[in-house]
Amino acid sequence: MGIVQKVFYFHVSSAWVGMLAFLVAAVCGILYLNKKQLNYDFLAFSAIEIGLLFTAIATFSGMIWAKPIWNTWWTWDPRLTTMTIMAFTYIGYLLLRRAVDNLEKRARFSAVYAIIGFASVPLTFFSSRLMRTIHPTIFGADTGDMAMTPAMYQTMAASIITFTVLFAVLLWHRSILAERESEVETLRAQTETLEFGEVQDD
Amino acid sequence: MSLEIRRVSKSFGQHRVLDGLDLEVQPGEPLCLLGRNGAGKTTLLRILAGLLRPEAGSIWLDDQQIDYAESHARHDIGLVMHQPFLYEHLTGVENLRFYARLYQVPDENVAIERAMAQVGMQRFGGKPVRAYSRGMKQRLTIARALLHSPSILILDEPYTGLDLQGSQAFNQLMLEQKQQGRIILMTTHDISHALPISSRFAFLARGRIAEELSNRNLSLEYLESWLTEKLAKSNSGQQRVTA
Amino acid sequence: MKDWFHSVRTLVWKDLLQEWRSKDMLTAMFAFAILTLFIFNYAIELSPVNRAEIASGIIWVVIVFAGTLGLNRSFTAEQDQGCFDALVMAVPDVSAIYFGKMLTNWLVMLFVSLLILPIYSLLYNQSLFYAGFILVLVLGAWCYSAAGTLIAGMTVQTRMRDLLLPILLFPILMPVNMAVVKAAGGILAGAPLLDVQVWFVLLAAYGIIVTTVSILVFEYVIRE
Repeated sequence: MGIVQKVFYFHVSSAWVGMLAFLVAAVCGILYLNKKQLNYDFLAFSAIEIGLLFTAIATFSGMIWAKPIWNTWWTWDPRLTTMTIMAFTYIGYLLLRRAVDNLEKRARFSAVYAIIGFASVPLTFFSSRLMRTIHPTIFGADTGDMAMTPAMYQTMAASIITFTVLFAVLLWHRSILAERESEVETLRAQTETLEFGEVQDD
Repeated sequence: MSLEIRRVSKSFGQHRVLDGLDLEVQPGEPLCLLGRNGAGKTTLLRILAGLLRPEAGSIWLDDQQIDYAESHARHDIGLVMHQPFLYEHLTGVENLRFYARLYQVPDENVAIERAMAQVGMQRFGGKPVRAYSRGMKQRLTIARALLHSPSILILDEPYTGLDLQGSQAFNQLMLEQKQQGRIILMTTHDISHALPISSRFAFLARGRIAEELSNRNLSLEYLESWLTEKLAKSNSGQQRVTA
Repeated sequence: MKDWFHSVRTLVWKDLLQEWRSKDMLTAMFAFAILTLFIFNYAIELSPVNRAEIASGIIWVVIVFAGTLGLNRSFTAEQDQGCFDALVMAVPDVSAIYFGKMLTNWLVMLFVSLLILPIYSLLYNQSLFYAGFILVLVLGAWCYSAAGTLIAGMTVQTRMRDLLLPILLFPILMPVNMAVVKAAGGILAGAPLLDVQVWFVLLAAYGIIVTTVSILVFEYVIRE
């Protein structure tokens, strides 16, 4: 495979982080609905944002890797299909947040969407798998698992661990940033209130 | 069988709307809640209705804490708010029938007829709500609240949309409910109409009841000046902003 | 429990009555569906060879898009007239509101779908009245309604409303899309039951999972 094979490590690790991010968001969603602490909402939102980034990386690195090997940009591989649909779910999540002004409602809705979105992922995966086995694809070759040497396994493991740590660090910083953004929003709203001497209607 | 609100607090974000509020309402002694816009009246009413959960404090009826998760507790409350709660394409009677069924009112036809008569809407029951005027919708909303004979009536600006005749009919209705020993709590800006039926007035400011006034042959002038003074005092103070 | 079913029944009665009076959802969905069928007529050449496969796809796409019109409208009465508060106080549990609305949406979708089938047969000269095919539609509409009602409950309360619903719903609906098209296509092509069976299982699993999650979670869509 040559040098292109090296992309594989990035590809798998990014895909792994993409999935992990969704899991984190769904769990934070459940925790938020339970405890109503906004910290969980900030965590979930950051996870989704970062997850979207890594899913995009995974998809594009996958395409770069696939082209020289199978001579096609896209295959209806179940994992690829599921990843792409997950990406759309992420985008939907972010759009949903933009469409809700109220802080508390936004957190609630985000949590609900993350939960139902995450619940649908295994179902999406199984259906795409079934589509492949029953109707052999005419689009591209099968993504067979390749044999990996021990050295490759080690590299893969190191890569996945590194990406996970990277994810955790990014998550940490992004959620703190999200909290600050939220504080600025609140302060701005209060400043406007004091300026015009009018209070919000109850 | 009194309604007690004990040390209820509620914040929206950083804004503390209700701050350890205490209030009591006796059966047959309607209480009129007054206050500036944004003072928290609607918030308190929503908490009483069980639509909002307070951060602290509790609501007690007859020395037992109200558990809003229990549907029989919620069924004991009649609610009139800004929104009409009505389905436009259904007739007045069908709207009432819908709620009567949800509340499992026995003898629903009798109850519906009675409710329509109480608000003077007997003739219009067969028309779709879409065709009602604002005042008619308000009357039907009130009928809806009384349909299941709740012991607690929570009314947020009930006079909105009612003409003079409608307001007088409403007052008559409230006097009947008062005689039956209902617990009535309402907010309004229309104190001239509220005066004949309220036993007490309470002014809400800075998250608490600042002052109460008993209606012992109160004159409208006195009430108005009292209210004006309270409003002025609460306007001069800054809205409390605490974490 | 008995109260729960009773309130669901009452809610469905109310919704169907409202819909029958206004016929908003029904006419919009039906008109949209027929127009879309016409567009497909010009867009896709249906030779007898590929007809079986594509028919199920066309029918389902039409239903999915028409369905969003219905879903968008299903909560507008509650939202605009503030009825959510009144319902929350009256029902034994908020999940009854979800389930009642879900059943209504399912029934409306089914109704429209069944109206479309003869129209399709007329246009494309192909009969679709197979028991298996209709069963697929019944299951598919249930799954659609289960997910759609939950999402619509949220989007109706946002700024973007109608625009947001498809964006949020379609990714989650993918398994249903695949299952319906494959199962229905298989049935039309006369495939053996064994092949098609697995898709029915998937639809049933999706329906159960999504309905259950929605029942648990819907409270947070309506209440603070």
